[in-house]
Formats: sequence, C-alpha cells, structure tokens
Amino acid sequence: MGNAEGKDRGILLELCGLQKEFDGFVAVEGLDLTIVEGEFICFLGPSGCGKTTTLRMIAGLETPTSGEIYLRGRKINDLIPQQRGVGLVFQNYALFWHMTVYDNLAFGLRIRGVSREEMDKYVKDVAERFELESLLNIKARRLDLSAMQRVAVARTLLTDPYLLLFDEPLNNIRPGLREILRAELKRLQKELNRTMIYVTHDQEEAMTLGDRILVMNAGKVEQLDTPRQIYLHPRTLFVADFIGRPSMNFMETEYEMKGEKISFKWNGFSFNIEKKDLDVEEKHLKGKKLIVGIRPEHILLADEAEKGGISAEPLSAMVDLIQPLGAKKIIDLKSGDHMVKMVSSSEYSFKRGDRISVIFDPRRIHLFDPKDGRVIL
Amino acid sequence: MEAISEAKTKQGLLFTLGRHLNRESVFKLSLVAPLQLLLWFLLIIPFIIVIYLSFVKWQPVFGSWTEAPWVWFENFQKLFTEIRFLEALGRTLAIVVIAVTLEFIFALGLALLFTRNFFGKRLFTSVILYPMMLPWVVVGFIFYLLFLDHGLVNSILTTIFGATATISWLRHSVPAMSAIILGDVWQWTPFMFLLLYSGLSALPSEPKEAAMTLGATPWQIFRYVTFPSLKPVILIAIIIRALEAFKIFDLVFIMTGGGPGTATETLSIYIYQIGFRFGQLSYAAALAIVILITVSIVTRLAVRPLFEKEG
Amino acid sequence: MRERSSGRVSAQVALPKRRRWLRWGAHWLIVLVVLLFFAMPVVWLLSVSFKPPQEWQAFPPTVIPRGPTLNNYLLLVNPELPKGSASYMLRVTEPVTKSFINSLIIVPIATLISAMVGFLAAYGVSRYRVGGDFMPFFVLTTRMFPPVAFAVPLLVYYQNLRLIDTRLGMIIIYAGFTVAFSLWMMKGFIDAVPRSVEEAAILDGASRWRVLFTITLPLVKGGLAATALFVFILNWTEFLYALIFTSTRSITVPVQLSHYVGAVGRFYGPQAALGVIASIPAVIFGYLIQRHLVTGFSFGLIRK
Repeated sequence: MGNAEGKDRGILLELCGLQKEFDGFVAVEGLDLTIVEGEFICFLGPSGCGKTTTLRMIAGLETPTSGEIYLRGRKINDLIPQQRGVGLVFQNYALFWHMTVYDNLAFGLRIRGVSREEMDKYVKDVAERFELESLLNIKARRLDLSAMQRVAVARTLLTDPYLLLFDEPLNNIRPGLREILRAELKRLQKELNRTMIYVTHDQEEAMTLGDRILVMNAGKVEQLDTPRQIYLHPRTLFVADFIGRPSMNFMETEYEMKGEKISFKWNGFSFNIEKKDLDVEEKHLKGKKLIVGIRPEHILLADEAEKGGISAEPLSAMVDLIQPLGAKKIIDLKSGDHMVKMVSSSEYSFKRGDRISVIFDPRRIHLFDPKDGRVIL
Repeated sequence: MEAISEAKTKQGLLFTLGRHLNRESVFKLSLVAPLQLLLWFLLIIPFIIVIYLSFVKWQPVFGSWTEAPWVWFENFQKLFTEIRFLEALGRTLAIVVIAVTLEFIFALGLALLFTRNFFGKRLFTSVILYPMMLPWVVVGFIFYLLFLDHGLVNSILTTIFGATATISWLRHSVPAMSAIILGDVWQWTPFMFLLLYSGLSALPSEPKEAAMTLGATPWQIFRYVTFPSLKPVILIAIIIRALEAFKIFDLVFIMTGGGPGTATETLSIYIYQIGFRFGQLSYAAALAIVILITVSIVTRLAVRPLFEKEG
Repeated sequence: MRERSSGRVSAQVALPKRRRWLRWGAHWLIVLVVLLFFAMPVVWLLSVSFKPPQEWQAFPPTVIPRGPTLNNYLLLVNPELPKGSASYMLRVTEPVTKSFINSLIIVPIATLISAMVGFLAAYGVSRYRVGGDFMPFFVLTTRMFPPVAFAVPLLVYYQNLRLIDTRLGMIIIYAGFTVAFSLWMMKGFIDAVPRSVEEAAILDGASRWRVLFTITLPLVKGGLAATALFVFILNWTEFLYALIFTSTRSITVPVQLSHYVGAVGRFYGPQAALGVIASIPAVIFGYLIQRHLVTGFSFGLIRK
C-alpha cells in the first residue's frame, strides 16, 4: 500500500472500524482505511453506498457511531469541524452567495483575524492561480459553474488544510467541461502535493483521477486498490460490474473438469479453457457453479488473437447488433439464447447475422463464487 | 312529445350556455366576480365615500350626508394642528417601534434556540403558538387583570420587593403604555417567531457547514452566513408586524379604553372616539385619508429594498 | 501558498464535559422561562374563572383556587344565579347566549364565503394572471389600512342600506375583509399544484370548471382547510367592526366581553369565564392549524 513511488511519506489519515448508523440503518460498516500524504484517493460507489457519509465523518459534520479517526497521528473524533484542519468542497459548492468572490475566499482568513494586507496578498495570490482575479468583486451567486467550482476549491486552500475533501464537485457540470475541470484538478493536486479525497459515483472519473480507489457498496468496502488493479483484478462481483464501460459480461456456468481442460456450460453454450491457462488452484473450486466474467474488450476475434499469439478454443457466435462508437464498435453477440457484449476496434466489417469466431482471452477471465460474489481468479 | 322536445331545447340551451361559460374570458371573469363584488362593495365604494366625506363638514346629527356643506380642506387643516391627533400618532409610533423591536429580538432568539432539536420541542412549540390564537379582547382582558392595582403583577412585585412596590399601572400614562406594550409583545412574539423560524429552516445547511470547515465559530457563522441570508425574511416579518401594530385597537380599548383621559390613546382609538363617539364623521374621514396615504408611502419605501434585492 | 504554521485555528481538544453540561442547563433554563412567560397569563385566566368572589383580589395570590366553583360559568348563562350572595348584587348585564349564537352563525358563514371567494379568485390570479401583476400587491394593501378608516364611510353606507346591527351586515363585512387574506394564502397553495395535471385533464376534454372543482380543489384541500381555519380565527376574534356595527341584535362574543369589562362593578370571575369560553373555538382551531402553520407561511409569504 502507499509507497508505490518509493518516496517516504507519512500516514495522514487513518480510519479504524468506522461505523455510522442512522436509526437502525447502517450507512457505513466497519471501514478501515489508511492514507498517506500527497495521495489522491477516490471514494467510488453508487448513491447511498455511504461514501458521502464517510466523507462527512472525516470532516466532522457527522459523528461516527463507533470507530476512530486519526489525523496525523492524533485522534480527532471529538474535534469539531472548525478544529480539524480539513477542507470540504461541497457538491453544490456552498459558496456564501451574498458575498463577493473576494469575501468568499477571504472568509477563512478573516475569521482568524489575519491582517488586511496579508489577507489581501494571499487572496490575490490564489485568485491569480485560479484565474479569478477579474471576478473578485462579483457576487458569488452571479458566477458560472466553472467559476463557482474554482472559488469553492480556492476557498478551502486558503485555510491551508491538511486534507482536502471533495463531495462529487463535478456532478452538476456538463460533460464536455467536466473532463477539462477534472484534468485541472488532477494537475493541481500533483502540483500542490495535497492529500485529497474525492467522492464520486462516476467510475470513469475515479479511474482517471485516483491514485487509489475505495469502492463502496451499501456501506461496506468492496475493494481498495489502484485503478489498474481494480480493473484487472476485481475482488468482488460488484467491483467487476461497476468498473468499466460497457460493463463486464457475466455468465453463470456449470463447470466440469475434463482432464486438461475445464468445460464451462452456459445455457446451451459451452466453451473449454485449458486448465493451465487458468492459473487457479483446484481446491478453490467448490460446488458445481461458477460465474465467469470477461470484459467486452477482452473478447477477441479468433484470427486476431491467433496473430497476437493468444491461443484458446474459439467459440462461434452470431452478430446481433453493432453499435459504432467512432474508433470502436460495441458488438452484441448471440449464442443460443444469450448475449455477450464485445468491443472491437478492428477494421473488420461484419454485419448483423454474420457468424464469427471469437475467443475469451484466458489471461483475462475472472471466476466468481456465485454464493458470495468473491473472486476466485 | 312536447315535454321531450321541450327538454331537448332546454338541454340545447344549457349546452350552448355551458359552452359560453367555458370560454376562457367568461371563466376568468366568473372566477373573480365574487371577489370584485365584495371588494367594490366594501372597499372601493366606501373609499370614495371617505374622500367625499373628508371634504364636507358633517355629523350624523346634521341630517343627511348627501346634503352636507363643502368645506374643502378645512378638515385637513384642522387635523395638522390638532394636538390630540399628533399625540395619538406619537403614542402609536412609540408602541410600534418598541413592541416590534422587542418582538423581533425575542422571536429571533427563540427561533435560533429552536434550530437544535430538543426533548419536548413539539409540545413547547404548541404552547408558544397559542397567544396568537386568542381573541385580542381576551388578551386585553387578561392583561387588564394582571395589571390591576391588586392584580397579579403587583402581587408579585410586593412579594419580591416589599409592600411599597406596587405601581398603579393603568392609571398613569407611562406604566399603562408599558403594560399595553407587554400585552402586544406577549401576543405577537409567537407570530414573528413563526415567520423567522420558517425562514431559518428554509436556509440551506451547506453554507453553514462550509463555514464550519473553514473554522468559523457559531457566532461568526450567524453573523456572516445565517443573518445575511435571513435579511429578506426579517424585513418582511418586521413590515407585516409593524403594519398590524400600527392599527392596534382591541388591546388598548379593553385595557384602558384609551385612558385615563387620553393617556393611552392610540390612533385607531382616537379616530374611533372622534368618529363614533363624538360623531364628527367627516373629520374622522379626513383623518382616515391622511393615515391611508401615509401608511402607503411608508410601506412603499420600506418594501423597496426587497424588490431591489431580487433584481 | 501560505506557511503551514501561521494562523491555523488551534487544534484543541473538544469542550470539556462540564462546559457541555452548562450549555445544556442554560438552554433548558431559557426554555423553562419562556414557557412560563407564555403560559402564565392563560393559566391565570383559567384560575380566576374558577375562583369565588372572595379570591378575586386575594393577596397573596394563588394559582389554584382554594374554593373552586363553577358559578362564574353558570352566571354567564343565567344571571340570576346564585341567589343571596352579597357580591352578586351587581349582576352581569345579560346572558351571553345571544352573542354566542350570533358569533356561531356569522363567523362560519363569513369564513366559508371568504374561503371560497378567495379560492376562486386565487385560481384566477394563479393560472390566468387575472388582474395582472398588480393584483397581489393590491390585495396586500387592503391589509395595510387601519380598519377604522373604512369603518367611517361604511357606517354611513350601512345606515342607508339598513345593515347596521344585522347578522347579514356582519357576514358581509367579515367575508370582505378577510377575502384578501384568503386569496393570498390560497394562491400559494394553488401555485404549488403543477399545471400539467390540469392541462392533461383539459386535453382529455374536461371543461375548465370541472378541472377546477374535481382536480385542483382536492389537491389543495389541505391549504383550503388551513386558510379557512385562519380566517375563522380572524373573524371570531374580530372586535372593532363588531363594536361599531352591532348593537343588541347581532352582538358578537368579543363585544360581549367588552361589555362585561366596561360594566360597573367588578366581577372578574364571570369575565374570566367568558374569556375562557370565547377562546375555546379559537384554541381548538389553532391546534388544528398547527401542522399547516409552517408550510402555510412559507408558501404565502416567501412567495411574495
């Protein structure tokens, strides 16, 4: 965990067994997390999974039902938000609408009694960095969304917090602008070397922004890992399904060991995989059913796979629907009664009704235990 | 046979009638017709009559009001020099300013207190809201009882401060005014509380939370975040309450009747006396008009900041 | 960026337990004081209404009467009772039944009229902008003026129409002067009903009247009830116009009370009893409104 860069960075935040219940409803359950300085962590999950609640507990706006929070080694459970040194950027920015941009930015300094000249210097400084100089005297409610977001972020920076928290700040922004602001945020983080926690329900966002991602569902932690690991090695069905667009194909299969091969049978459609390709230990396989997962981008045309040196038993399937997406195509393949999605950027032109030969890249097959959704491979 | 055809024609008539009634313009008209009726009957025509009356000199004993002599602005001139009028005006303004200020402060404090949740909050809210519901005359009576020479208030004072601590509340100008103001505050603080509390609850919580994370103390949050956002509501509440307070009548009438003498005479009581006890209706009409105009102008001025803000 | 060490709010430990208790205690003290302040006068009224004459001006004062009695209440209905008591030599002037009957006739009818008229007009203003943008403001202005101002010409007017001291006359006055309020409140509630529901019905072929009564009306039932309750309280407690325009035939409860207070002699007991009874309808309706109270005000007022 943590020291991927090889730099020696201290632990900034530690959450131990954090739990939050509202009137019997468990919003967050047994959360453990350690963050080092300078990290950009994303909390990812569907609405209601507890990510915002966790964020608010870190900020001090909610009190945990049980568990501890340590900031820089000190337990901060009993500290009010004012005392924590944590900055929070809200989903709808929560600017002080009746104040000017200048006053919004200067707020943190003003209440600390910083002198006029100093305050002025710092505010102007930050305003310049965020391209807000021309807007300093404008009332916050008149700003456009991108300016609002910049003010919201700039405002928190001026109080020099140890940790910056973001609650889905790009939610209300239209798609084109969203990517631009996203990139800016990432750049900013690296430049300032601040530790940031970013909450979002958009998996694409989390994958592009985070050094590590905490995937949550219904109050529980599904996986905490780097984006690459989460993509290649999802630990649970939920994570596998949630990450990646189009999402992973899942097939509930019955399997049978047949010598060197494992045969998977899926509703009249069967395929065999070499045992050696599957790097899985027999003892882990229990019961007769397994959920096989494969990402659309890992279903390859048999010929291409051959050329790339990947060999496996090809399957024959019928093309049911082709959705072109610029350089790529999403192809719905039908075999028997069931559909599998595939993504291909090949130049091959086939049309609906064609029968083609594909293989599942054996290096990228995931096996899940149907009972608890945990991964086996 | 004939009955049926007759019925059919009736039906046909109703149908066309119905169709006409359904047309938008007729519909709109009929919606507001009853309102217009009432308004014209009770407001507009009397208004015209008032204007007429203010220009004549008339009392019911003189006979028919349509034959009263025209005196143009004589009533108005008299009005501006009449000391009793000016005194009544002064007293009314004093009451309005003091009472509304006190009500505002108490109500704001209460509203802030209520932002936290505490045990028994609902019951407490119910108790607080009752004073507004009571008939004003009953409130007047209650406070009359309390402030009698041998009433509860004096009893409490003597218990605490000794036998000489009684005040003849209702017999002198200043104590009587104080008693009246207290009655008004008692009755109407809940109203202000309601308005302010609604406004307060409607405020979004995020800016407050943002202020918290930025390090602001509760007082600072109130001063920089809550209060400024509350200003429009505060303004409305004060204006509404002030307008109502200006008209104060019931309370004073029951508690002191305007007395002793004219010591607690407010504007409404003054006009009442002039018009309905002494019968100088045309003079009263002039008074009414002057007040109408003044109140309109003042309200217009007071309300303007509200409309500016929304722009 | 700023130096890390300067100006940070000192990260002290949270308020020690003792101070927290202090705050909580102060909170409750204030709550108690306020409660007392608002409850006391009413309690006193109730108390006096059950006291026999000896205790009316007793010192030291007591909240609970030493010799509670219902006489004060009975006296209201039948001034003859009880016989033989010296302090009842100065009797109450008249039984209160008449004023109650009058109020119970006048107020509900006027309230109903006011609510319905207000509702119709509010619908017009809300959906069809009748009266233009000026209407709401105009309506507000009718509340601005001291009632006495209108009483003057109204008296003249009513005299000619022979409506003085009649129930009909009072009904008209009460309906007319509260209709502005009804309109204001109902407009808020009607605004909250999305037009799309009505438009769908119109497209289905319903006439406008039908839409109004079968679709909109049920949806604002709550608001209508709240408005009606409010107006009821306003009318029930109204004093000035009743004072001027009623005499012996159509006297209402508030005026009756003022007679008692103004009458010669001191019989606080019956006066208090009357006060209590006069308040009961208002209190009951007030209780019913409580749930609507906050929403009603936010709709009506913030929507200015």
